[in-house]
Order: sequence, then structure tokens, then C-alpha cells
Amino acid sequence: MNKKKIYPLAFVWPAVIIFVVLFAVPTVISFYFSFTIWDLKNTVWCGFDNYVMFVKDAALSASVLNTVIYAIFTCGLKVALGFLIAVFLTSNIRTKSFIRSVVFFPTLISSVAVGIMFKAILHPTKGILNTFLSLFGIGNIDWLGNVKLALGSVIAVDVWKGLGIAVVIFIAGIQSIDRSYYESAQIDGASAFSQVRYITLPLCKAARNSVVTLAFIEGIRSFELIWAMTKGGPGFTTDVLASTIYKQYASGYYGLSTAGNVLMLLMVVCLAFPLQKLLNRGGVYE
Amino acid sequence: MKKRRKLLGALLCTVLSVSMLAGCGSTEAGDPPAGEESDSNTNSDQEQVQKPEEDIRTISLLAYSDMELPGLEAVCELAEEKLGIHVDIEIVSANDEIVQVRAAAGELNDVVLMNSGAVLSTVHPEEYFMPLNDEAEIMEKLDENYIQSVTLDGVTYGIPQASSQAGCVLYNKEIYEKYQLEVPKTWDEFVNNCKVLEENGETPLIGAFGDAWTSQVLMLGDFYNLNAADPNFVENYSAGKAKYAENDSALKSFAKYEDVLDFYNEDYLSTTYDDGCQKLADGEGAHWIMLTQVLGNIYSLYGEEVTNKIGAFAIPSDDANVNGLTVWMPNSVYGNKQSENADAVLEFMKFYLSDEALNAFTAAQPPVGPYCVKGYEIPDDAYEAVRVDMQSYFDQGTICSAMEFMTSVKGNNAEKICQEVASGLTTGAEAAEKYDEDSYKCAIQLGLDWER
Repeated sequence: MNKKKIYPLAFVWPAVIIFVVLFAVPTVISFYFSFTIWDLKNTVWCGFDNYVMFVKDAALSASVLNTVIYAIFTCGLKVALGFLIAVFLTSNIRTKSFIRSVVFFPTLISSVAVGIMFKAILHPTKGILNTFLSLFGIGNIDWLGNVKLALGSVIAVDVWKGLGIAVVIFIAGIQSIDRSYYESAQIDGASAFSQVRYITLPLCKAARNSVVTLAFIEGIRSFELIWAMTKGGPGFTTDVLASTIYKQYASGYYGLSTAGNVLMLLMVVCLAFPLQKLLNRGGVYE
Repeated sequence: MKKRRKLLGALLCTVLSVSMLAGCGSTEAGDPPAGEESDSNTNSDQEQVQKPEEDIRTISLLAYSDMELPGLEAVCELAEEKLGIHVDIEIVSANDEIVQVRAAAGELNDVVLMNSGAVLSTVHPEEYFMPLNDEAEIMEKLDENYIQSVTLDGVTYGIPQASSQAGCVLYNKEIYEKYQLEVPKTWDEFVNNCKVLEENGETPLIGAFGDAWTSQVLMLGDFYNLNAADPNFVENYSAGKAKYAENDSALKSFAKYEDVLDFYNEDYLSTTYDDGCQKLADGEGAHWIMLTQVLGNIYSLYGEEVTNKIGAFAIPSDDANVNGLTVWMPNSVYGNKQSENADAVLEFMKFYLSDEALNAFTAAQPPVGPYCVKGYEIPDDAYEAVRVDMQSYFDQGTICSAMEFMTSVKGNNAEKICQEVASGLTTGAEAAEKYDEDSYKCAIQLGLDWER
């Protein structure tokens, strides 16, 4: 019996070693460091002080709210727009494969490059977007500088960048639906809209769930794009959890930022698991 | 059969583990060539080397990409010629943490260029940086105010990398002449000048808050006035007893943002530092509350004539009799305590302060304020704003180091808090309260014993 087990175990070990050394051990160690004041060399135990300080931080509550807004809006828009585009791209149109690659293209560019590019595009006086809008008599809008617009602008760019993945997953989901459903619906005289509403939408639930989960977790963890575009500013208006933590790390508050990371981990877990449960409620059609 | 499978399994397992380790190792092995590459960039002047190859000692130097380095590079060239010390300059993107991380990993360069003042205490200089107290040759040359900014618990660690500078109001003299304005002595006069300019269709004040750090200069540069009103503030603040929100003069530093909110250029929250330089040089804005390092940028981009159109005055207080300049200490050159080339490093630092090195420095990079080296005066061809406007404050003795060079506590969110109040989101009083909170966080993380 035992001899039989040796064979698969041998294959598991490398993966286990990698996982333990690179993921499990640092995670456990970070729990320890989050209870200390740490300068990378010496630690001073401080109990829950870091957590208390992090939670009391006025900037933090704003950043938690921003993170949730950011995650919900990017996720919602990616799902809605992604589904519509996927339906469009699985229909019988000629330039299908060309449009598919165009839609997927932004996903291939690094977030930082996208951020820098859009920072230039959205510049209030020199940006190409405002130059274009001025043709219609729309005045100078400071997309990233206006405290009311900044978060929305970053969300829009994130959606532009992340839409490709959502579309690809939806296309895969839609294409796996048996054509015979549509055929029988057509014989029954269902309109195109009804077909999408009552066949495509429910039958690509598995794809939708993947998109929602991926987009939501990505939304909570988002950092590069925000950092490249606004660095959390103006003030703290586009600060999310990750950027707040990064700023503390960059200031040398290593213990405090580790505590922030532990909180972020808990937040991702607390939000992602119930979400998964909720989405898979009622089972998945295959 | 079974045995063979087992063997195969064990074999694959070994291969996987080994290749994993090799993968880890290869990045290490890959590093040196990258280093050599940057080496060859700084080596361009090798033909001029007079000393024979084997006598050349090499030390490595860490600098940030946002530092202005022509002066340093000139000194390094001279050092190679005169001392036979080749300085290998490594430029990294601007992150405060890289020094801490490298120091903790024992991989710090021989020489480090870094801020003076509050930032110093976050890298634990007592463990990593060379103490200079016993080097009389260096210590006797340093200016007292400067020494304070690189001294922690009585130990001095750095020498000035460039000239000092000031956080003040830079203004376009041509615009001032055109509207017959006078250099304001009080804050109200300054606000009035701005109003006059606005009525005449000029942009009174440049804001470049797209780069958040530029927003704090008004608050930090107002420190001379705060210090004049309450000389004990720094000491009490460092001890956690004085708060910005509870001190009227300190509160004023934040409240000043509210007074000038309407005067900024239209896109001031997206304008970057570089755009700001261009606006000041082109007269697209009359004032810019900024560090005098701007003059260096404008000089290298637009030449001497444009630079001399720009004047400087201290951020005014409410009292015409209190009128003084807040001075920023330069970045410093620190030696790595654990360096194998400690002798060469020390020799290089001594050379850096010699007259011939300073002359070479000045020729390559004109000063933006007085040097922190005793007996070395601003040359006659310095920018007018420095030679005339700034020097007058130094002559009268109405100067004061910025607060971050007198205490190790500086909240890390200062720039964001100032950006926020400058965007009109918060009031000065709210900003002061936020900054107190931020300072508390900093003090606790530094291990200071502050009470709530």
C-alpha cells in the first residue's frame, strides 16, 4: 500500500517545496512581523498597535471605501460590457476575428504603460481627449485632477484595459453552448433578444462566475494602474488599500504595512468566498 | 516495472528541484553583467586617466534618478584624475526604501547619496553609515546648521552633496515691473499682488500638484515664520507635545493654502514639476512657491537670460518685521560603514569638500543657494535670485533650516495632505489635524515614545 503512494508523492514534492518556501512561510512570517515595529533588521513587539493604528487611520477608511467602489464598478462594467461584446463577436459578422484581437489587445500592455499613456491622454489642457471634446464646445475637464472625477476616470481606464479577458472568457462560454437550443428557439419564433436573454445568459453562467470572481479580486488588489495615473491623489481621493499599504512600506513603516497586508488578505478572503458561494447558488448548467 | 517507475519519479523530482534552484541562481549570476553595463557608461573618459590601470581603485555610488548630478559627475571625473579613485555611479529610480533594503541585505554601495534630515533616521545610520566625528579635516569645514541635519545622537554621518537651497516664492520680475508691483513684506500684500495680477488676466500663482511633493513647499517653507513666532515648537513637536492643529502659528502654515486657492493655473492639479518650470520660464504664471532648485532646471533648459528674469522672496508672514528664508539642506554623501573600500571612500569624501572639487562642481552645476562648506562663497556668476535675493537673507541672518532638518519626525503623507487642502477638499484646520495624526504614526514607527 505504502509503496504505491511513493510514486505520486515524488511528483508532488517539488510543487510543495516551492509553495512552502515561497508562499506559505512568508505568509506565516508576515503574521509575526505585523505585530512588530520592524526596520528590516530589528523587531520590537508591539502587539495589536499596528492594527489599531491602521484601522484608526483616517486615510484608511477612505481607501477601503474607494477599494470597494473600485472593485464593484470595474467588475460590474467588465461583466456587462464584456458580455455584450462577446455576444456581438459570436454572431455572424465578417470582421469577427479582427475585432476580437483588437478587444484583447489592451490586456497585453503593461498596466504601468497604460497608466502613463492615459495620464497623457486625459491631461486637461494638452490631452488628446479634451482637444477632441473642445471641438464640440465642451470645456476643459480635469479628468484626473478633479477630485470628483478622478476615481471614475481610473475606473474607466481599468475597464478598458481589463475588458479583453472578460470578453475572451465569455466567448468561450457562449461558444460551448449547444446550437440546438437556438435552433429550437428559432423554430418557436423567439426573437434575437429573447434568445440572448433566455438561452445565452443563463447557459454561460459558469463563464460569468469566472469573470465576476476574477474581476472582483483584481479590483480589490488593484494598484499599478492607480499608482501610474494618480499615485492615489489628488489628496487621498483615489487611494485604495494597496496604495495606502505601499506608501507606508515606502516610508519605512514595515511592520505597519505588513499589518495592512494581512488586513487586505482577510478582506479579499472575506469578500471573495461569499461571492463565490452566492454566484454558484443553484448549481451551474453544463 | 514498478521499480523503474519509482526511479523515474525520483529522477524527475530531482530534476525539477535542481532546475528550480538553478532558476533562483541564474538571476544572481545574471546581475553582474548588468552592473558592468552601467559601468561602461560612466567609463567614457577612461582615455584621460593618467594613473596606470592597476592603481585605479573603484568605489560604487548609489544615486536616485531625480537628483541633479552634473556637479557630482564633474567631481568624480576629477577624483579619478587626482586620486585614482574611479566612482561607479549607479542610478536607481527614486524610492526611499532601496537604501534600507540594500543595507539590511548587506549589499549597500560604498557611497550613498540620500536626503539629509528626517529621512536619515529611518535608515538606521548608526548601523550602516560611516561616522565622521573623528575626521577633523571634514568636520571643521561643515556649516553648523548643516551638521545638525546629518547628526543623530551626536554622531555626524554626511557631507553636503550640493549647495543648499530655499523654499520660497519665485516670481517673474518682468511681470512685476509690468504691473508695478512690489515684493510683498506680509502675506496680505502677497495675496493682494495675486489679486491685482488676476484682475489683469495673468495667472498669479503656478501650481504643479500633479507631482504631489511640490504641494508641501508652502507649508514647509513657512517654517521660518512659525519658528519666529514659537521658537520652541520644533522641540515640543519632536517630543510629541506640540501639535499643528493646536498652535495658531502652525495652523497658519496650512491655512495659507486656503487664501491662494483661486489664484492657481487652471490645470494645477495635473501640472507636473517639469510643466511648472516651463510655466515660470515662459511667464505663464507670476509666482511659484517652490524650491530654488528650479533655477537649475530652468538654466539648463532655457539659459542664463531667462533664469535671471526670476527673482525670489521668502514666504511672507503676517508681520512685516518677520521676514526670513526657510533653507533646505542639500542631499548628503554618506559612506557605507561596512565597505571594503572604506579608505578610498573617506579619501573621496575629503576630496569632495576641497576647493578644487567645489570649483569643478560649480562649473558644471551653478549653485541654487549658499554652500554648506565654510569659507566657500557663492561665485559671482551665480543666478541673480541666488546671488542677490537669497544672499540678502543670509547676510541679515534671517534664515532658518526647514523643520525636517531639525527633527526626525516628518509625517509621510505631508505631500498628500497638502495636495488635498490645495485642491479645496479640506480646510487648513482639517489638514493640520491630519498632519498631526500622520506625525504620530511616524513617531511610533520610529520607536519614539509619544503619548496620545
